[in-house]
Amino acid sequence: MDSAFYPAFLFVGCALGLACLMYGMGRVMGPRRAGRVKEMPYESGMDPINDARRRFDVRFHLVAIAFLLFDVELLFLYPWAVASRNPEGIDRAVAATQTAAGAMRGATDFSRLLVFGEVMVFIALLALGLVYAWRKGVFQWR
Amino acid sequence: MPTDSQTLLLLFPEISLVCMAAVIFVGGTFGNNRRGWSFYALAAYGVAAFALWRSADAWSGGAAAYMPSGPFAVDIMGYSLRWLALATGVVLTLLAARQAPKQLASEFLGGLMLVVVGVMLVCSANELTMVFLGLELVSVPTYMLLFLGRNDRATAEATIKYFFLSILASAFLLYGMSFLYGLTGSTSLPEIRASLAAAHEIPALNVAQQPLLQATLVLLLVGLGFKIAAAPFHFYAPDVYQGATNLTAGLLATAPKIAGIAVLIRLVVAAFPPDDFIWQLFMTLAILSMTIGNVCALWQNNIRRLMAYSSIAHSGYMLIGLAVAAAANSLLAEETSVANLQAANLQAAGIAATLFYLTVYVFASLGVFAACSLLAEKERGFENISDLSGLAKSKPWAAGAIAVFMFSLAGIPPLAGFWGKLSLMTESLNVALPFNGSTLATAFCVLAVVGMLNAAIAAGYYLRVIAVMFFQPPTGHAEPSVHTEPVGGWLTGAAVGLCTVAVLGIGLAPQMAAEQSSRSEDGVRVFVTTHATQPAANLATLEIRGAAEPEVTQQAASK
Repeated sequence: MDSAFYPAFLFVGCALGLACLMYGMGRVMGPRRAGRVKEMPYESGMDPINDARRRFDVRFHLVAIAFLLFDVELLFLYPWAVASRNPEGIDRAVAATQTAAGAMRGATDFSRLLVFGEVMVFIALLALGLVYAWRKGVFQWR
Repeated sequence: MPTDSQTLLLLFPEISLVCMAAVIFVGGTFGNNRRGWSFYALAAYGVAAFALWRSADAWSGGAAAYMPSGPFAVDIMGYSLRWLALATGVVLTLLAARQAPKQLASEFLGGLMLVVVGVMLVCSANELTMVFLGLELVSVPTYMLLFLGRNDRATAEATIKYFFLSILASAFLLYGMSFLYGLTGSTSLPEIRASLAAAHEIPALNVAQQPLLQATLVLLLVGLGFKIAAAPFHFYAPDVYQGATNLTAGLLATAPKIAGIAVLIRLVVAAFPPDDFIWQLFMTLAILSMTIGNVCALWQNNIRRLMAYSSIAHSGYMLIGLAVAAAANSLLAEETSVANLQAANLQAAGIAATLFYLTVYVFASLGVFAACSLLAEKERGFENISDLSGLAKSKPWAAGAIAVFMFSLAGIPPLAGFWGKLSLMTESLNVALPFNGSTLATAFCVLAVVGMLNAAIAAGYYLRVIAVMFFQPPTGHAEPSVHTEPVGGWLTGAAVGLCTVAVLGIGLAPQMAAEQSSRSEDGVRVFVTTHATQPAANLATLEIRGAAEPEVTQQAASK
């Protein structure tokens, strides 16, 4: 077997062990006072067994979308942060392209600025989304 | 390769429109003045049009300016179609100035602007990711706009139908793209083209990749066929159009169609190696769409259902041009120098005919929906064709405008639609020209005949609308009817006027179109002499100008 998989197996083992440990400790040490409501499967405070066509609060969706806004932001910013100042990443690619195009030295700096500026534009657009949601009263739980 | 600042300049129209849309979205929460934001949106389109006009040299500079790598193809087709997208945006914004929901006007106008940006991006996209993102940028705001159109059950039903089917179509498109990526290892269209062409030259590889390519083509056509509402992917269209308002139906009839045709040209006709299966598939879809669309339209009473079937039929006509181009691709593979030259011309002419037809269709179709908005901008709008009876007496100008658009859609000579149909049928017969009894010649003869028969069927229902308006007395109207309600404001009138000018202009000055197509053929001919040895990698198809008239659309966009 390829030894490259050992870390993956180790990871799976640790995850399983941790889950078993936490679940078992809760079972052994935790107090158990069962009640009708407590035995119910957790459905974000909704009745879990009901008509699928039941109406539920639109605020669930609004919060979910607002959450997505920032989740996607993080998801995008991590790889950017790793790649942008990495000598093997964007910097090198930009420099190679610029050298091939016969550009002057300053052009690379401009491109760097552009890479930074693009993410700033991205964050600004997301911030506008936040302003929009705020103004529309998404964060007021009336 | 252009430097960053040049790329930014080339994309300035899109960038400025996105920024303006963001301003509209956020600004609308501070003060939702429908009229004010409409004028702001029109100004934004003006800025974008100015930027596009300034960058004309870079886009139309011919082979020298063509950027073969990178996510954007800087070529004349992209340039012309961007003008068309801008013009569509202007007309729809003019309509929205009176029809957007008052409380959510800025959301409506901003969404409309994002749709226009999506179409513009797709028209010059040269990379699979860009194509898909652009198409989604068209689709996602469209769901919102459909729902905002009106506040009743029919609209909600239409929105849900469109939403689910559109997602399904996107999934098919993505699946097809994944095959394309798997076959070639690249998402860049020029690289895909080169890779597929190289494999095509090696018999063993060609045999291996052909079934996969055919499956890919089918998957792509399912996705794109939905966007352009071609049969048999048309089932959503009548219901959705009926549930939409005149404004959103106009959007559905134009924006996804421009984007879908542009992608079909770039992806399928230009990137796929020659294969008889391609033109056979296009031809089948064309015949199905034309016939189903026109025959079903014959017994529609609802005006928007009628226009939905009409849009299906017109997709069929546009597919004729693509079938011609694909067949020319097959002919090119035969590699005799005389036939080569002819086939290259045919390929250019087929695509040019499709683009010309697209331009003509967009203006005529938008015009019909704009005129319907002019007659009834209240919530319900008018629904049935019989409501129009006697309109020629009560509102002669509106009736005249609708008549012009209907005549153009039907293809009556002095108007633009006639030249569109003429060029398509001519190209179809040109493919069949040797009449040597081969399958290809016979098939294209049949295609031309079916096309002409369909034009006759279509005249049946287009002329019925005109007959109702001009020759039937106004009877049996419930109050209020289209006769008693005042016409919509001058902004709606301006939208109708723009479309009328475009349809009449293209119709009365066809020599412009002829010059354009001969120019494009010249360009292709130059290209063929240098690249005759690699017919499959025929980049020339992307160089053509098409017959889309920037002059006309410039007028439309700058107003």
